[in-house]
This record gives sequence, structure tokens and C-alpha cells, in this order.
Amino acid sequence: MTALVTLERVGFSYPGSARPALRDVSVAIEAGTVTGVTGLVGAGASTLLLVAGGFAPRLTGGALTGARHLATERVGIVFATPWTQLTGLASTVLGEVAFGPASLGRPREAVLAAVERAIGDLGVAHLAERDPTTLSGGELQRVVVASILAMVPDLLVLDDPAAELDPAGADALYALLPSVAARGAAVLVATPDTERLARVADRVLALEDGRLVRSGPPGAVLDDTDVARIARAAGCPAPLPLDVAAAVERVVR
Amino acid sequence: MSGHAIRFEGVRFAYGGTEVLHGVTLDLPAGSAVAILGPNGAGKTTLTRLLIALLRPRAGRVTVGDWDVATKRPDEMARRVGYVFQHADQQLFERTVQRDVAFGPRCLGRPAAGVDRALEELGLVAVADVHPYDLPPPSRKLVALAGVLAMEPGVLVLDEPTAGLDRVGRDLVVAALRRRNAAGVTSVVVSHDVAFVAETAERVVVLREGVVAADAPVRKLLSDAAALAPLGLEPPPAAALGLALGLPGAPIRVEECVAALGGVRWRGA
Repeated sequence: MTALVTLERVGFSYPGSARPALRDVSVAIEAGTVTGVTGLVGAGASTLLLVAGGFAPRLTGGALTGARHLATERVGIVFATPWTQLTGLASTVLGEVAFGPASLGRPREAVLAAVERAIGDLGVAHLAERDPTTLSGGELQRVVVASILAMVPDLLVLDDPAAELDPAGADALYALLPSVAARGAAVLVATPDTERLARVADRVLALEDGRLVRSGPPGAVLDDTDVARIARAAGCPAPLPLDVAAAVERVVR
Repeated sequence: MSGHAIRFEGVRFAYGGTEVLHGVTLDLPAGSAVAILGPNGAGKTTLTRLLIALLRPRAGRVTVGDWDVATKRPDEMARRVGYVFQHADQQLFERTVQRDVAFGPRCLGRPAAGVDRALEELGLVAVADVHPYDLPPPSRKLVALAGVLAMEPGVLVLDEPTAGLDRVGRDLVVAALRRRNAAGVTSVVVSHDVAFVAETAERVVVLREGVVAADAPVRKLLSDAAALAPLGLEPPPAAALGLALGLPGAPIRVEECVAALGGVRWRGA
């Protein structure tokens, strides 16, 4: 597999902060995979996304140490706050989703095909003629994800992308990530929602205080889903089951 | 801190020509802990914003205790209803966390002791002197909640209080909400986090397309997968595990499920 991002002993500090947000992180993010990033608030998960995607320090300022190799310029990022990503220039959802690929100078037919696919994937085709500013937070988040997917990024970076979504919408969004990876993209997603992460991630990176402390398949890294917490408290030995089906398998009847 | 009863009576609301609440009637007794669930666009946030006079219904009546909200301004409603917006950035503006949390109580003439208590219970003492916007967004969410808790309102309205929070922050919010409910505060929580709802609510109202699609005790609804499915919801993990293993007592909370699993033997032990 092709590594789209390689970090070697990378550290990062925000402007004016004495405390590094990332310390000595080495990792490769490969095309065709979904990589999850998890950690407590302040652990550095969002910062890792910004650094891996090439957004920090370019847009944030600050100091990067170590070596970062980004093998593509086609990087899309989705934040948890969709209204911060609206162009403000489109009066319809269709126009909003088309804005990115059109701005990249792609042929009209390619733009229309990408938009159609993206709004279909995100289940927002019925909102195509709506003014984006009149949508609910969850609807808007799906529109924003569609607008990023319509640009067909090689690297898709998502920071808690389902924070605005209802359970069905969140399930659908996470279920979409492996198919985006299957089309050849590298997907990097940070979230405290370890239940959904466990379902779709090929690999999870766990951060603590800016350091990468664990890396591997979800079952080897995650231990804080609700089911895992219940199993641990009820005396289940490691590795802890992450979901209900796994827990049922572990119970001796 | 005594709670107030809330009543929505045939409430209709429209954004421009689009009606999003179609005659909602709800009675929430003083001291009740109510969660409002429902898909995106169901009208959940709109319904709660009617409680603070931020929006006005096109028809129907909203009361909080003996106050008809139609006769009050938002600043007057703030004396009874503490509202935490989904996005903390909508309500943070002071230079330090401490000043922000203290702003509400100061304006309402409430005791400063509530400020220290709120900072403490949400784990914010160590960042009390930090500018709120130097904190990560999830921490800012806790600051906004602390500012409302510090006002010690009789009614708490929280819009997606756990979105973006990690386990530690989420547990702090659970504990704070339980303490307020135990003290008699009325709480209305809009959430997609069914596990959080299981931990904190006693009653669940499900809104769909602007109408009440379900209204039931939390244990009854969240332990009934068949009733939840048509509402686009699933039982929280504790309830799902309880159902899958046939555990007694219909557990819906983590500690209930752990207790019900007492004596279970695990493979690999």
C-alpha cells in the first residue's frame, strides 16, 4: 500500500504555547485504509489531523519539528462545526457541493457527476435546492461532507464528523468511510465516538499528552466503549469486547 | 434551587413559511428529568428555544412555572431557565474561564459560591485563568455549562451537552446533571446520545417532523428495541447487552448492567 502521509518523530507547538501539542509522533497513513485517532481532550488528536493534512503550521502558525512527507495535495478536511465550512457563496445545496470541484477547474460533466455521487452518498439529494443556511446542523454537516467528497480527495481528514448527526446519520456517515477508502483514498478520522470507530477503522492511533501511545486494530487499541467499560467492571479479562456481539461471545452460558 | 413545571400547549412554530412544530403539547412536572430525542430537523432545538423567549410560537402557549413565556423577555427568562447552547462559542465572551462562569450569577445577583462549585464539578479549576478560546472546543462546552450551572436555575435546558466530549467530560456532565435533578431542578436535555440519556433522564420525548412521536419513561422506551426501531433509535449499549443476554431488571445504565452481570463467567478468564 502507498503511504500518503509519513510522519517521522514529528512534534508540533501552537503559536504562543510552551506545551507541545504533538511529541515525537511517527506514523504512516496509507491509501485505501481508514485510520482512527482517539484520545482525551487535549491529547492531540485534532492537531494530528491538522499536521497530517498539511494544514498546520501552514494555516495555524506554530512550529513543526521532525519530518513530514505528504504525497498528495488533494486533501479534504471536515470539521465538527459545519457552518465554519460553508462558502457563503452558494444559495443552494447543489451549488455549495459543486463549488469545490468547480473551483478546481474540473470539467462540467465531471463536476456534475461528482456532485451527484456525493449528495447521493450522504443522503442529501432531497435537499439539493435548499438554501444551506436554512438547514439543521445535522443536515448541514452531511452537506459539508458531500462538498468535500465531491472534490475526490486522496486524503480525507475528518474531525469528529458526526457530532451534529442523529444516530442514523452518524451510522450512515461512518459506514461510508470504508467505501471512500475502497475507492483509493486514505481516511483519517478523529472522534471520541469509539463505538462507531471500532466498526469501521482498519487501525486506531491512541494519543496521550501529544504522544502516540498505541497503534493497531481497534480491538487491540480501544478499551473504552460502553460495552468494554461494562465488561471490565464485570470482571472480563483483556482483550475487552468492544461491542455487544463480541461481549455475548465472551460470556460462558 | 426548586424546579418549575413546564407546559407546551398546542405549540406551533414556523421559520418563514415552513412550519416545523405542528401543535406540540407536553406537560413536564417540576423536578422532572426529560430528554428530547429525534432525528436532525425534528424541531428539538426549536422547541427548547421557545422556553427562553428566544423564539416565539405562531400559535399555542408555553409556560414555565406560573410564567407565561409570551409575556417575558429572554433576559427575564434567564432568571428561571438556564440554557446551554449546542455550540459553546455562542455564549462565551469573557477574558477568562472564571470571569465567564461568574458573569451570569453576577448579573442575576446570585451567590459567588455557585461559581466555584460549578468550576470544581466540571473539572475547570486548573484552567480558571485561561482565556476560553485558548481551550479546545470540548472544554469550551464545559465552560458554557459551568456558567449556566453557576446561576443555579430552577430549569436547566441543555442542547447536545455531550457532543464532542470525551469520556471524562461526559462523566462530569452526567454527575452534574444527576446532582441538579436530585436537588429538584427540572431538566430538559436535547441529545442524540442515547447512552447519556439513559444515564440521566427519567422520561423520554421523541420528536419527529415537528410532532411528539413517543413520550415514555426512559427505562420502558430504551429497553424496547422494537419500539425504538421505527423511531430511528437503538437501545443504548447497556440495554442492548442486557437484551442480548436476557439480563434481569431491564438495565439501561452502565452500573445497572454491571450489577446484572454479577456472577457471569467470561471466556479467557
